[in-house]
Amino acid sequence: MALLKPFSKLPCLNTANILLVESEEQFQQSLADTLVEETAFTVNVRLAKSLPLPMENEESRPRIDLVVFIINLTSELSFQSAEVSLKNLDPGYFLGKVCFMVTNARNASVPTERLDAVRKLAASLHCPMLFAEDQTPDGVTNATERLLTILKVAAGFVPMATALYLSNLTRRTAPPDIEQPSFD
Amino acid sequence: MAGASATGVLSQLSLLEVKARSRKTQPQQQSRVKELKAKVEALRAQRDQLKAEIETHKHLQKLRASLDKQSTNEEEEEEEMEQDSEHSQLLQLMARHTQLEDLLYAHHTIGGYDVIKTRQGKGVCVSLATAYDGVFLETYNLEIDLKPTLRISRHNVPPFIPLNSLAEQNNLQTNIRTFLDTLSRHLNAFAARKQQLELVKELHKSVQVMESNVLCSILVLMFNVPKQKTAVLCTLDYSDHTRSLPTRVHFESEDEKLPDSPEWKKNCSLLKETPVHKALITMKKMGNIV
Amino acid sequence: MDDSTKRLLQRLIRRIPAQTLRTTLEKWGRLTAAQQRSMDFTQPKWALSEKLLAICEENGLTAKHITELEMTNVIDNPNQGMWYAFQLMDPEDDANSIELTQFKEQFKSHLRELVRPVSIKIKKHTDEAVWIRIAWGDSFSRPNHLKPTYVVHHLQTPYVFVTSLTSKQKPLLSQALVLSARYQAIKDANLSGRKLTAIRDLLMRKYQQVFPTMYPSPLGERNQVVSNPHIEKEQAEPAANRLQMACEAFGDGTLPQLQTVVYKLETKFRDHTNKTMTEREEPFSCVVKFASTNLLESLRHCASSGIASTPVTPLLSSILQKGRNYFVITDNGSGPSTQTRQPQT
Repeated sequence: MALLKPFSKLPCLNTANILLVESEEQFQQSLADTLVEETAFTVNVRLAKSLPLPMENEESRPRIDLVVFIINLTSELSFQSAEVSLKNLDPGYFLGKVCFMVTNARNASVPTERLDAVRKLAASLHCPMLFAEDQTPDGVTNATERLLTILKVAAGFVPMATALYLSNLTRRTAPPDIEQPSFD
Repeated sequence: MAGASATGVLSQLSLLEVKARSRKTQPQQQSRVKELKAKVEALRAQRDQLKAEIETHKHLQKLRASLDKQSTNEEEEEEEMEQDSEHSQLLQLMARHTQLEDLLYAHHTIGGYDVIKTRQGKGVCVSLATAYDGVFLETYNLEIDLKPTLRISRHNVPPFIPLNSLAEQNNLQTNIRTFLDTLSRHLNAFAARKQQLELVKELHKSVQVMESNVLCSILVLMFNVPKQKTAVLCTLDYSDHTRSLPTRVHFESEDEKLPDSPEWKKNCSLLKETPVHKALITMKKMGNIV
Repeated sequence: MDDSTKRLLQRLIRRIPAQTLRTTLEKWGRLTAAQQRSMDFTQPKWALSEKLLAICEENGLTAKHITELEMTNVIDNPNQGMWYAFQLMDPEDDANSIELTQFKEQFKSHLRELVRPVSIKIKKHTDEAVWIRIAWGDSFSRPNHLKPTYVVHHLQTPYVFVTSLTSKQKPLLSQALVLSARYQAIKDANLSGRKLTAIRDLLMRKYQQVFPTMYPSPLGERNQVVSNPHIEKEQAEPAANRLQMACEAFGDGTLPQLQTVVYKLETKFRDHTNKTMTEREEPFSCVVKFASTNLLESLRHCASSGIASTPVTPLLSSILQKGRNYFVITDNGSGPSTQTRQPQT
């Protein structure tokens, strides 16, 4: 039950490492495949179903620059699993190195309460929340682009910008009218 | 850009992104020469490695031959082995390993079973391989619970093999070895009969398979006799399910004298003693059937 | 040809799928080549059946021939209606050496002794299965060809598959089957489904089972997706384990398509917060039903993706191991159940 720490290891040159956590293990694979196509710098992707990560990989695991929780809104289990996993992250990560990615938000069968719950969660942790389309290749490419933008900053490739700085601009703030359906 | 107004701003942006992406990858083409050179280097290294492997393999075979000799007449001491220290020691170990592997394989082919522990030692899984005529056929597995008593919990033996009655008859609790032996005989015989039937269908298009069953214990074939132009119905009855040869062969024909003729009597004993597809080849050669 | 025969043919033509009508008629083999050619299969079904009626009149075909056509169609499209599995028990010594002609004669004579008039047709299919079509009548009526019972039996195996059998006819059929297949008893196998092939494969163990072996199995090999060196799965080992467990419980490859599994619970209600229910004397009965177009596939996915916990509970894995999809669960092994396990929460 070791906490995952953001600064316990040294970074590698021109390399960014991203951890995708998804309980269903569907979207993370296609996302990973497009993420590693990035040519400007090396992207290492680690896939996990939930946290904590197994101890035996401790040695081989590089420093994780960004943790992404993928939540499928049509499944309650997906949300609960992410909630549990969050407890195994070092607080240092919440200074801009965690983000939520929500899929299936447009699905008609999704109860609005669940979306609100995810919003609240993201807001309370000061994390950005991205919406993604996981069915179409275009959707995957777009999601990848967004993630890469954050990853670049989190890994320190952008001069004069830090993850904390970026997250101040992009983080979710608690909407005052969470009780009512909001369309922002 | 004509369609720009028709599509949304966002898709336009991603189009531009894609364009930017493709521009990034272009300069890579210039390094093709470098790439090829690296490939040549890699192939060379691979060649050297293969050469070295061949060398060690030769060495191994030599060692293996001497090792085999040793096991037959044990008085001979190892003499030449002491030549070059650790290197030869490693090679010797490798030779020993291949020897053991071959032994294991031999054990497997003469009817040994593979048994492994499952569920932290609470059960075992036995696999029984079937083979006919040097061809490995299906493998059947039994998962057996060890406690409180031996119990077959899961298996893929077809339902027409009387597994439970075999287990009772052979006293599974006390004598698992005999049970497995009998089961293996049943399975091997079944596999053999099935394979024979398949071979008959494949090799002998002129012979018609009139009837067969799932257990392949009854086989009715129809031949044509070339000269008289009569059809002969041949029933092969494999009533001993642990054997792949029929216990009873019966001919039926319009020409009533035919089954009693010495020629067909000979065929009858031929079918009893040789696998049916081979017997049919002989009968064809003798000119008894088309 | 009387009216009932005509109706039978019309209904049959309606049932045969349009795209297989031509091949079914060819297999039937009662039409001459010229008649076959004169049929225009682009016409609507009613016109075709009119045409076929005329041909049948011309050839002097009777109800017997029409039932042949029906049988051909049912053998080719067995996945209609509900099929129920029965298991023959306690074989006699000669059960393993019974052959088709013997079985045919025995079955016909045994059933005719019990019920008259009855129309029986027996045909052997290419896959060693014996197909039996029974049109039942009683002392006041002729055999009703509109509601025939179909029975499929593989000789030398203890299983029988039956569709559209009423409870009145069941003892008659059971007795005839038991006597002619040389067994002593027959029981309900508690397995039913819309696909004959599925329940047959399940009972005959014709699906791909996975067993633990010491050799590298194709299962693990298949799942090693050739992936980028930059992508690494943190929990690859537990995932592989889960898949192995799921496949050991439910099989590998394509699984027999079962539609439902029913668990009938007759157990005591246990919940410390709810005293009134817990203290009740009589068992708490409820029925749990799982339904899906391919239930086993769904269950396997649940287990392999971690939605259901592994190792799979015996309640689920015994669907395949025991070959049944109807279970009665009681508390202390009393009653007709074979499952004596407490309900899982």
